[in-house]
Amino acid sequence: MKKALALILAAMMVLSVTAAFAEDVTLTLWSIATESDSSHQAFVDAIAKFEADHPGVKIEHVATENEAYKTLIKSAMSSGENLPDIFFTWGMGFLGEFVNAKRVYCVDAEYEAYKNELPEPMTVNVRYDGKMFGVPYTMSLVTLYANLDILKEVGYDDIPATYEDMMACCDKLVAAGKIPFGVSGKELWCLSEYVEPLTIKSIGGQKLKDIYNGVASWNDPGVVKAIEAFQNMKAKGYFDPSADALGNDEVKNNFIAGKYAFYQNGSWNNKDIGEQAKFAVKAGTFPVLDPDNASLYAMIGGPNNTLAVTESSPNKELAVQAAFELAKFFSDADYKSGANLPCWAADPEAKVNDLIQAAADMAAKAEDMVLFGDNFLSADAANTYLDYIGLAWAGEITPAEYAEGLANDLGN
Amino acid sequence: MKRPFSYKLNIFIFLLPALALFVGVLIAPIIVSTYYSFHNWNGLTTPEFIGFKNYVELFTSKSINITRALKNAMLLAVFSCFIQLPFALWLALRLARGVKGGRFFLSVFFMPVLISTVVIGQLWLKIYNPDYGVLNLLLRSLGLEKWTRVWLGSKDTALGAAFVPILWQYVGYHMLLMFAGIKGVPPELSEAAMLDGCTPGQVSRYIVIPYIRPILRVSVIFAVTGSLKSFDLIYVLTNGGPNHATEVPSTLMINMLFLRNRYGMGSTIAVMLIVLCFVFALLINMAFKEEKGR
Amino acid sequence: MSKKAYRAPDAPRKITWQSATAYAILVIWALISLFPVYWMLTFSLKTNPEIFGENVMGLPKYWVWANYDRALNTGNMPRYFLNSLIVAVSTIMITLVASVMATYAMTRLEWKNRKRMNKFFMLGLTVPIHASIVPLYTTLSKVHLLNTLWALIIPYSAFSLAMGILIATGFMGDIPYDLDEAAFLDGCGVWGIFFRVIAPLMTPAVATVGIYTFLQCWNELMFANVFVTAPQWRTLPVGVQALSGQYTTEWGPIGAALSIATIPTLIVYIFLSRRIQDSFIAGAVKG
Repeated sequence: MKKALALILAAMMVLSVTAAFAEDVTLTLWSIATESDSSHQAFVDAIAKFEADHPGVKIEHVATENEAYKTLIKSAMSSGENLPDIFFTWGMGFLGEFVNAKRVYCVDAEYEAYKNELPEPMTVNVRYDGKMFGVPYTMSLVTLYANLDILKEVGYDDIPATYEDMMACCDKLVAAGKIPFGVSGKELWCLSEYVEPLTIKSIGGQKLKDIYNGVASWNDPGVVKAIEAFQNMKAKGYFDPSADALGNDEVKNNFIAGKYAFYQNGSWNNKDIGEQAKFAVKAGTFPVLDPDNASLYAMIGGPNNTLAVTESSPNKELAVQAAFELAKFFSDADYKSGANLPCWAADPEAKVNDLIQAAADMAAKAEDMVLFGDNFLSADAANTYLDYIGLAWAGEITPAEYAEGLANDLGN
Repeated sequence: MKRPFSYKLNIFIFLLPALALFVGVLIAPIIVSTYYSFHNWNGLTTPEFIGFKNYVELFTSKSINITRALKNAMLLAVFSCFIQLPFALWLALRLARGVKGGRFFLSVFFMPVLISTVVIGQLWLKIYNPDYGVLNLLLRSLGLEKWTRVWLGSKDTALGAAFVPILWQYVGYHMLLMFAGIKGVPPELSEAAMLDGCTPGQVSRYIVIPYIRPILRVSVIFAVTGSLKSFDLIYVLTNGGPNHATEVPSTLMINMLFLRNRYGMGSTIAVMLIVLCFVFALLINMAFKEEKGR
Repeated sequence: MSKKAYRAPDAPRKITWQSATAYAILVIWALISLFPVYWMLTFSLKTNPEIFGENVMGLPKYWVWANYDRALNTGNMPRYFLNSLIVAVSTIMITLVASVMATYAMTRLEWKNRKRMNKFFMLGLTVPIHASIVPLYTTLSKVHLLNTLWALIIPYSAFSLAMGILIATGFMGDIPYDLDEAAFLDGCGVWGIFFRVIAPLMTPAVATVGIYTFLQCWNELMFANVFVTAPQWRTLPVGVQALSGQYTTEWGPIGAALSIATIPTLIVYIFLSRRIQDSFIAGAVKG
């Protein structure tokens, strides 16, 4: 009797679910994959596939340009009105503030079904108090892109493996009239793409995480050492002297045009650099500053691009299902197109370009992976942190002042 | 005239569309901003009342450094009033006096205003680019190598470099306003003056400029409030950098509202800007009236 | 009647070094003002390497017309253009009607506090638009106007109002009060005076207010991005912005889209600028 009842109940549930699906449901998805974004096609294809698999469900995709998107999602979250069902977000700090405001739906229950395809370590940046609030799809690593043609001119055929050798190489480049590093001094996050690898390779990944989490103090000799190295590199003219006037777009185009020996930025550049650079290019990582604390494969980066579901969505279950399915699709598509690294288990047979292969190898070897500081920290702290990097870059503060100032202003 | 009730009702009806729009869209958000300026709020969780703490922090915090932002904005207002407006007036007077191809000039001078800030911003980024920018190339070709600079990236030049496009873009805007005013000057007045032997310069000085005083007042108000609120081109050209050297109140406000999630502090800056602009608008009005009285 | 505003009828036009210098300045300034148009048109036909350094200011080496294909086929540009046009025209009309009516009440009708009311409207010049985004978002959502063109038309009109009133006040002050009185003696009421005397004489203001209002809304991006997310109601600047990606931006198609957005404006403006001058002269004659 009990069994029969359970069967009937189950049948009813199936019926009601199918009934709910049979009615037309529209899910709204907000993202930054504008028509010109490299991942736009992946969004179109993924949505088409999901709609084909789930008749009666329509996904309305609204893409907004990166900077404008931040204003849009913050305004909408702030008023709590007119929110989408699914939205694109970055992990840690950015999503965290929405989670704190209880605007985001917890996806723990639904994750069980995808556990094998999306390894748990990949979900660290969307977990708050252990609970999972988003579905990551791609991850990025800070990558040191090298123009091997220029390196050859000064007698190197690979990225120098030690810090001393790297400095020697840069000296030779400068002597030969070449600019070792391209960076945008105007966009502070680009400076952090240099400061953070130096920092993690001076103090190690665990320590850096502890500092971000407020467990350890910024005022650390290793942090000071990293900034000393950074300022030293600048003083010796290793960076483009025009850096302060350039945006990242310009710097990247300069690198592609062969102006710099190295360009250090996120692995999302793999596709552009791989396709457009007319010289031999290699993707690697910056050498170790302090071998006692860190190894070569202490990396900055991690799973970041994420889809999340709003608490206010009237079709949460369906939306979560869509979020997982779409994320899985994007992960694969971005990897195969060479745009970025997958969070989801990748197809081992997939043929990818050399740069993304190199990035994947680094990710596999990574002993530690710490997310970009401006993503890790909360919005206010992140901007204070970037300000300090800007001051250190301009030489307006000493390394010691940098460490003390951050310790004071960020409260640890 | 008799003033029946219907007269008052009519006044109200005439004011209604403007008032409704104004109160609903402008005044209500000002009130909301004022409310949040007394709170510590990240835009998401429950606001926490903190009295005047935001205001105190705004004017004392070294990292926000509102004084520098205000100084920059005031400097822009001064340049605007004493370089941009006189030049625009000169253009307007010259064109109104009638020159060959006057209509062509009139249309062309206004064009920079019609072009999207994105284009203007990118164009000037290319002009200032330290490597392939026109400005440095020009200096190099003139043998003035030592004058070349990282214009938008160096602390000493960034502010000036960012001001030039802002002032340049809106010359046409003010010129058109003034031209419109000058065309409204009754021709008999200036003709009579000319017959009395006045030079065109004297006609401009003693007849035209006093006549278009109301338009000049509007121009000055636009120039000053526009400078205090300036945002778009600064954002594109320097985004407040290098190291906040070109920060203006609006860039600080955006930073607080949408980057740092400090909605309360962002609102505080907004309230300060509103009050400041309003006071300046009133002062300018008074200045123009006083002179008229003399 | 002479169309020249002020010059002694028989004054001979002498070429002096002064007028020559002045003319030279006008020509140089015209070139400086035209340059952005030239630059926009050329970079709309270039590739990224040319735009970034290889050939910044010159004519394109290869004319990349494909940029225009990209621009036109991204999203729904014709639709965005139409939306922008509807928004601009509606905003201009609402601003004109509201500001001329309010100006009439504040300058021609006598009542206590009318000066104060005028100052109150001046507040409109002072509000920075970014500060009102969140409060407006909430309000527009509550009245179910988000994701409609009204979500742009209403705020744009409100933000143009102060300027409209300022300009209209200037123009209305030029209309002699005798006309009101004559109309009053003819038996016109408040409305009669407004429609028969004031409104027809305000035509010069129409062009001026129209142009300034248009400028406020045609390139506006902040509100357009936040208040309208439905793709079918997006405006042109948002469409142009969709051409820049998260990590990569090809500037050629952006230039093309900006050219498509700007050229009609320039043409309409050139056409209108004639009308403005003519309407002013007409106003001057009657005055």
